[in-house]
Amino acid sequence: MKIVEFAAVAVILSWLQASALAQAPTATPTGAAAHRLADGKPDLNGVWEALNTASWDIQDHGGQLGIPPGVGVVEGNEIPYQAWALTKKKENFANRMTADQTEANCYLPGVPRITYMPYPFQISESSKAIAFSYEFAHALRVIHMEGQHPDPNGFLDTWMGDSRGHWEGDSLVVDSRNFNDQTWFDKAGNFHSEALHVVERYSLLDADHLNYEVTVDDPKVFTRAWKMSMPLYRRIEKNAKLLEYECVFYLQEERYKNAPFTSSH
Amino acid sequence: MSEKHSSTIRMVWVVLIAACLCLLIPASGQTPVAGKANSSWTPPRTPDGQPDIQGIYARAGIWGLAVQQLESNGPHGAGNPLDDTGYNRPGAPGHQKLPNRPSTDDVKPQGENGRMVPLAGPPPAPTWRVGLVDPPNKALPWKPEEDKKRREFLLHTNPAASLRYIEYDARCALPGLFLNGGPFQFIQPEKEVVILSEYQHYTRTIHLDGRSHLGGGIRLFMGDSIGHWEGNTLIVDTTNFNEFTGFTREIPYLSDALHTIERFTVIDDNNIDYEVTIDDPKLFTGTWKTAGLYRKGKEGFEIVEYACAEGTRTLENIFGQPPVSSK
Repeated sequence: MKIVEFAAVAVILSWLQASALAQAPTATPTGAAAHRLADGKPDLNGVWEALNTASWDIQDHGGQLGIPPGVGVVEGNEIPYQAWALTKKKENFANRMTADQTEANCYLPGVPRITYMPYPFQISESSKAIAFSYEFAHALRVIHMEGQHPDPNGFLDTWMGDSRGHWEGDSLVVDSRNFNDQTWFDKAGNFHSEALHVVERYSLLDADHLNYEVTVDDPKVFTRAWKMSMPLYRRIEKNAKLLEYECVFYLQEERYKNAPFTSSH
Repeated sequence: MSEKHSSTIRMVWVVLIAACLCLLIPASGQTPVAGKANSSWTPPRTPDGQPDIQGIYARAGIWGLAVQQLESNGPHGAGNPLDDTGYNRPGAPGHQKLPNRPSTDDVKPQGENGRMVPLAGPPPAPTWRVGLVDPPNKALPWKPEEDKKRREFLLHTNPAASLRYIEYDARCALPGLFLNGGPFQFIQPEKEVVILSEYQHYTRTIHLDGRSHLGGGIRLFMGDSIGHWEGNTLIVDTTNFNEFTGFTREIPYLSDALHTIERFTVIDDNNIDYEVTIDDPKLFTGTWKTAGLYRKGKEGFEIVEYACAEGTRTLENIFGQPPVSSK
């Protein structure tokens, strides 16, 4: 018995040692050295997913019927709303079943909400381009590594923002603006205006984990910038791939199954 | 040496032009293979050895007017509401008498909703094969009973008798492989070709890692795509379609038995010949082929957001407001 235990510990120790040796023993990010593109940039390619309840509420919340409980993802848990905005947030919460455009109408959920919805997303990265593709509503963000945000006065607002990326060390930093004011951060009514400015940092912790840190700023709604952070997990299943969650299509099938509505004419 | 080199280049041009002239001959009885003329072209490579085709593209052919006009099996005349769309109505701008169109066509991409891509370079030839290339007489090998069903279907589309008769682009649904002229962006991570589309903001990931297709229980608008490179040709095999993939207005649906083989053949820095073999044994007695041309856009062109469902009121306008209770 003792020998078996000892052998097991020895095997585990040697495996740990071997895997530690196989990876670069340097500080940040551990193991990322083994996953780089030919140009030296960290290789973020793959299918990823959050594993938390931020989609329901980014702040601490208990369970309710249909709402899984969860520890929040907001740094310090408090969101620094301006007074009027806090009132509005509470109003949103009360009306959330119809007022949340993503929930009610399957509209594009904005950023960073799309990241932590319970659907996987894919990062496609080469030395020439980076794009984020999401299973929910086949949303797409091309992360432009060059150029600047369009002039907000001459460019229509967007649901998913205009995203400009750059590397800071081994972190992919994505700066997004040009949002509209129609999306929420979660199903709990946390909201923003069209002045929203989101900075996301994607940093490999190891081959299968990303640290995802978001700075949210919106001088029309908040008194200061605030942060959320969470790990993102690689979908390590063999042949992991995005499928289709065609929210709009399913909703139409339900809403218009008895169409045309002759009585309404 | 440079003399010899330039004469080689001249020879390549002669071969290319000859090949293109062959393509100009309508109903030649053979499907021309554009890729054969360019075997000497050496593409840049991605780190994993793929021909590097990354960039912005627009597509001529496949989607749009050319194919719709070439598809002559639709019921024409007063009984067909599609004749009022303007495409086929005699006297309408752009109307061309069916079915006497040559098998080659304009190399100008159609774009989507007028958003045109500034092109990086000239086409490989003034005209290129686009639209139906096989069978040469353009008579699709319909199973008679399925063709009848399709014609019947078309008669219920305008006005739409129910949701099923609404065109999928009007529903902001994923368009399948055909109903889109671009802009596209190609990205090539290791062992993948990823095609992004501005129209309906979707992503096609073509897996080159040797995996098999998904199980038959998963049906997709865009299908499940696996592929491999043979020289300068990317060959993509796609299955697992749902029954909602349309081809044109006149072929409003294909079946879930659809199986496509796409061949992307790199012609030069700015052009990719595109050919799709369509195998749908539920609807047709044999396979048929359609072709197009991907043309590279100028560097710096950016895909922007195409929000569709968020703005459309098409269904409300056609059917009236749905009852509040039925979410």
